[in-house]
Amino acid sequence: MSTAVVTSAARTAVHENVYLPKRAVIDRVSEEIAGVKTFRWHLEDPAEQAAFRRFRPGQFAQVSVFGAGEFPLSLPASPSEPDFLFTVRAVGTCSAALHQLGAGDVFAVRGPYGNGFPMDQYRGKELVFVAGGIGLIPLRSCIVYALAHREEYGRIVVIHGARTPNDLMYLPLLEELQRSGQLEVHLTVDRAPAGWTGNVGVVGSLLSKPEVRLPIQNTVAFVCGPPVMFRFAIRDLLALGLQGKDIVSTLERYMKCGVGKCGHCCIGMAYVCTDGPVFTYEQIVQLGESI
Amino acid sequence: MKARVLDSADVLRVVDLLRSLGYQVMAPFVEEGGDGAFALVTDENRDDIALHIHNPLYPPKRFALPAIEPLLEIRGHGAETRFRPLVEAPRVAVFGIRSCDVAGIDHLDRFFLGGAYRDIYYATRREALLLVNVVCTQPGVDIGEACFCPCTDTGPAAREGFDLQLMDLGDEWLALAGTPRGEALFDEAIFRRATPEHVERRRALLDQLRTKFRTYTSWFAAAVSRITRGEVPEGTWEEIGRRCLECGGCTYVCPACTCFTVSDRPDGPDRTERVRIWDSCALSGFTRMAGGHNPRKAVHDRRNRRFYRKLSQPFIDRERSVACVGCGRCADVCHGDVGMPAVVELLRRGPAPQGDPTSVAASPQRSDLEAGGRP
Repeated sequence: MSTAVVTSAARTAVHENVYLPKRAVIDRVSEEIAGVKTFRWHLEDPAEQAAFRRFRPGQFAQVSVFGAGEFPLSLPASPSEPDFLFTVRAVGTCSAALHQLGAGDVFAVRGPYGNGFPMDQYRGKELVFVAGGIGLIPLRSCIVYALAHREEYGRIVVIHGARTPNDLMYLPLLEELQRSGQLEVHLTVDRAPAGWTGNVGVVGSLLSKPEVRLPIQNTVAFVCGPPVMFRFAIRDLLALGLQGKDIVSTLERYMKCGVGKCGHCCIGMAYVCTDGPVFTYEQIVQLGESI
Repeated sequence: MKARVLDSADVLRVVDLLRSLGYQVMAPFVEEGGDGAFALVTDENRDDIALHIHNPLYPPKRFALPAIEPLLEIRGHGAETRFRPLVEAPRVAVFGIRSCDVAGIDHLDRFFLGGAYRDIYYATRREALLLVNVVCTQPGVDIGEACFCPCTDTGPAAREGFDLQLMDLGDEWLALAGTPRGEALFDEAIFRRATPEHVERRRALLDQLRTKFRTYTSWFAAAVSRITRGEVPEGTWEEIGRRCLECGGCTYVCPACTCFTVSDRPDGPDRTERVRIWDSCALSGFTRMAGGHNPRKAVHDRRNRRFYRKLSQPFIDRERSVACVGCGRCADVCHGDVGMPAVVELLRRGPAPQGDPTSVAASPQRSDLEAGGRP
């Protein structure tokens, strides 16, 4: 008996396959902090590269390291920057496999996915970024984006905490931006070696310091970091008078598809991949189970 | 919808017809040991096809969404790595699919073909899939102890979603065409014109069959209302969580479950296949992230998730039905008696007070029903 085979390739353009990643090449790898690397990369096809550039701060991509699998990574570069970036700590199978790759190596990317931060809605507001550790990765995109559109925003305050000075993220960039006078950077560490002249204490300890002069009125606070830091930072921001609707974050979830099908990232009715990953604190409370 | 009649002796000639048209035909068989299973029809086993059978536990959903499905082929290493999508599907006809499973595939259609992203793998497979529904007409054989399709409004006779529907009227079979593809089969000489009397017999038989279900009602309305409003009685999820053995069986037999994981599987030194594999929200790894953080660690939170997804009004609005088709498989396989009917009952009545063993039997017992009492 003959068995007919239906192949969709003839009828359906390949780009309609949402699970099909695009070939990407690594241009440069640098060690951000111990165990965390930043990859500069581009898509091999210039047309795909141009299409991908339309991403928004806060969106993410599904990254394929062949043989290891596919995993979601936030996009730490701003669309206003010339190069695409990933910054990732080696904690799982895929991230460890990505860490093995170097300049010239091939991997694959699909996306961008998710809602991203509504930076247009924040025009005219003061922006506060509160990041613990590698929580600064998804916020880096917004910070650079806001500076590229500097006249559209009020004060820009970055509060970044980490365990030790060696764990502070994107330090050269933050120092350069601070020197330029375009934003205010406040750093804090949990444990400081001799010679550290900055603040010691959790991120929350900086929020109410008089010299920080944290803006409260007409302000959006971006908060990202480990669950414990997140909870306390939110508590402190609410105590200072910020509203839940003015605090935004990106949620992190196990996810396989990025397009609302695989089911892993769904909380309540919300798919973190398509309805998020950016949610206001007000929405996060309604979702339940989030942090 | 066009109706035709065929002789009982000619029913399997529908299978022959489909095979002659180039379909791989999958049909239910009674296997060694007595369990039913869908399998490929061959010249050798064609006469063993079971027209009346307890619906096989492993649902025919897999012909639209395989338990393991290749997505990409990856070849080579390093800069030479090449990959291509594996989007192809054989033409498959499922002969003897029950109405609950037709509703299950209909649910998958809305899920995978709807929304912002269309799933090309599902679409391709589905387009090549033909469904010949056989209506369950024999209580105790077709209609099992755990079946409750009248409660989900999916059976015993499907109203849509099939290409062809066959129903045993006793001395002859009634055929309904649900699609042009199904209707095209009526060109075959085995089909005769049906009369209004046939349609009336169908209606009378269905009226009678609806009373033959052991779980004659499942209070979905109460469960939907409570889950949607967040008014599930305190301790109910914990009780369900205590009974759940975290085996994932309920999801693997469910015709309406859609979740999957994706994995790269090496297949020789130079070839890797990226496959998607059915996944289960009952398993603790379902939400566990790299590094170990798990936002949904507790068993009862995971159970809450399953039933919120299946029964909450927002999801019903989005998918246009509860994500349950009343097949009863989860009740059949669950060792902790927290399949769908039992959970619906628990949501309605709340958990048993500690130390009162008489207050809750999760599933309505036949003795309750025969005594005339509402469970």
